[in-house]
Amino acid sequence: MATTESDLGGPTDLSEEEQRAVEAQLLRLADDELIQAERYTFWQVRAPTLESDLSISNNAQDELGHARLWYDAVQQLGYSEESLIYESDPSDFQHSTLVELPFAEGDWADAIVRAYLYDVAEDIRLSALEDSSYEIIRNRTSRIQGEEGYHLEHAESWLDRMALDEEASERVQAAIDELYPYALTLFEPVGDVEADIDRLGIRTMTLDEMRTEWETRVESFLTELGFDVPTDAAPATPTGRDNEHTDHWHDLHEEMTASYRNLGRDKATLIMADDDE
Amino acid sequence: MNVDEVKDRAGPREFSPKDDLPEEYRKAATRMLEFHANSEIMGAYLERPFIRKAPSIERKMAFSAKVQDEIGHGQMLYRAAESLGIKTRDEMLDDLANGDGKFLNCFHYPMESYVETPMIAFFVDGAAMRRQATLKKSSWEPYAHAMDKICFEEGMHVKHGESILRELMNGSRKEQRMTQEAFEEWWPRILQFFGPTDDQSTHHDFAAEVGLKTCTNDELRNAFLNTYIPKAKKYGLEMPDEPRIRDNGDGTYEVVEDDLDWDEFFTVSQNEYDGSIEQISGRRQAQEAVQWVRDMMDDQTTTNSGPQTQAAD
Repeated sequence: MATTESDLGGPTDLSEEEQRAVEAQLLRLADDELIQAERYTFWQVRAPTLESDLSISNNAQDELGHARLWYDAVQQLGYSEESLIYESDPSDFQHSTLVELPFAEGDWADAIVRAYLYDVAEDIRLSALEDSSYEIIRNRTSRIQGEEGYHLEHAESWLDRMALDEEASERVQAAIDELYPYALTLFEPVGDVEADIDRLGIRTMTLDEMRTEWETRVESFLTELGFDVPTDAAPATPTGRDNEHTDHWHDLHEEMTASYRNLGRDKATLIMADDDE
Repeated sequence: MNVDEVKDRAGPREFSPKDDLPEEYRKAATRMLEFHANSEIMGAYLERPFIRKAPSIERKMAFSAKVQDEIGHGQMLYRAAESLGIKTRDEMLDDLANGDGKFLNCFHYPMESYVETPMIAFFVDGAAMRRQATLKKSSWEPYAHAMDKICFEEGMHVKHGESILRELMNGSRKEQRMTQEAFEEWWPRILQFFGPTDDQSTHHDFAAEVGLKTCTNDELRNAFLNTYIPKAKKYGLEMPDEPRIRDNGDGTYEVVEDDLDWDEFFTVSQNEYDGSIEQISGRRQAQEAVQWVRDMMDDQTTTNSGPQTQAAD
């Protein structure tokens, strides 16, 4: 892996300022992927067909695997899975509010539109991280990119299909209108750390550049299929990135951590072998 | 082929869709496969809440993968059933949704707590493994073939369940106590998994005569108890006083049938238990909510108006 002069090295080489910036980038990656996966699992044994059930389960497990890699990278900076997820406060999380919204039963259009809006953003974000100055981000990004490409194809082919059907199109349009402002929160800043993330080369595109590319791609693809894209929408509030969340997240966090608390656990179980780079 | 010829030829993987088989055989095989496929789906439905509730990311991944595997098994088994030409997959799934489809007794009971998960993933899946391993020799080749892959994956599920059980029984006293309570609640249901003991007098089992199944309920129950009683004890579970199980000392056991609630078992097997109704209607509601997607796909297939590129699933 090529390194540059500005390479930040490993976890122990970071200055306080560098670590703060690396952490901020890693945490939103981990939180976004975990909660997107968590919501995907809603569709397990609830998807329209056995085949679509298998596909969405694949997506969920891929995202869980990515979350695991990103949380592991955060843990290398002195945290634990317990403190990051199971014993944390819901307001410690920085995922975008897009991924925490619950699905209404049967709203498959929401699942597909959400997957699409998220996967385009994820594709762009990973491109902006593949030459990161932090080696662990670079390496893990390249491991993840292949799977994310497949997710995008999956969402696009469902949209192709639904665009051909009148009732489905109406449902898709409603989901676009609802979710677009929430998707914009993916590009909202985490406090004042964004300038450091850019200056240190942890990410090679600014949030504004990423959002512009996302808007262009999303608008072009969806317009081509005959959908209206609310391009003048403002990001939804709360954004999630600022640690403010909808009530849905508090409920979900409660549910996710209930067994851990009821059993009186103080350790999140590891069962897989370590996989270092 | 008539039924007598089928009985003569019956052997492992003897019959395939190429054979002209009597309706009686095809119906019996459909009934078994449909029951098995339905059980995979309803087992997945029962376990799905624990994907969310699992107490670590890696456990969550394992639960998600297991639930996905069960759906995949259902898919394979419905395909093997469809190839008998009696019922389509849609008909079988519709019957499951409307309460006519039958499935394993253990999946009719609600599962509330994480400590109950190894009762399914270790004991019930372990019991299912016993039965499924023998079905690799089923005379319906598509059934036997599906079992090759399913047994491999079920082996992983049992390991997952065993790992959870081991962790719970090595955990706090509270965890151990909760797990023991769950075991006592589930153990009679697990024993009933194999059905009533064999009627040794006159009963002729058609499925056995035509090679669809190769072992009796008693043989399977004995094989299960031989392995799983020692394992339960090894992890520190205490065997409940009832139902009484007599160890014959020769690798066989006698379960005292009167200690088991057979009224409940038959209520369950008719889909009339409270839990049956809850599980079936919960799943039906979820399936009805996405009926519009299936209607869209059917319509596009019928009118050939779907996407020209490879379709999504």
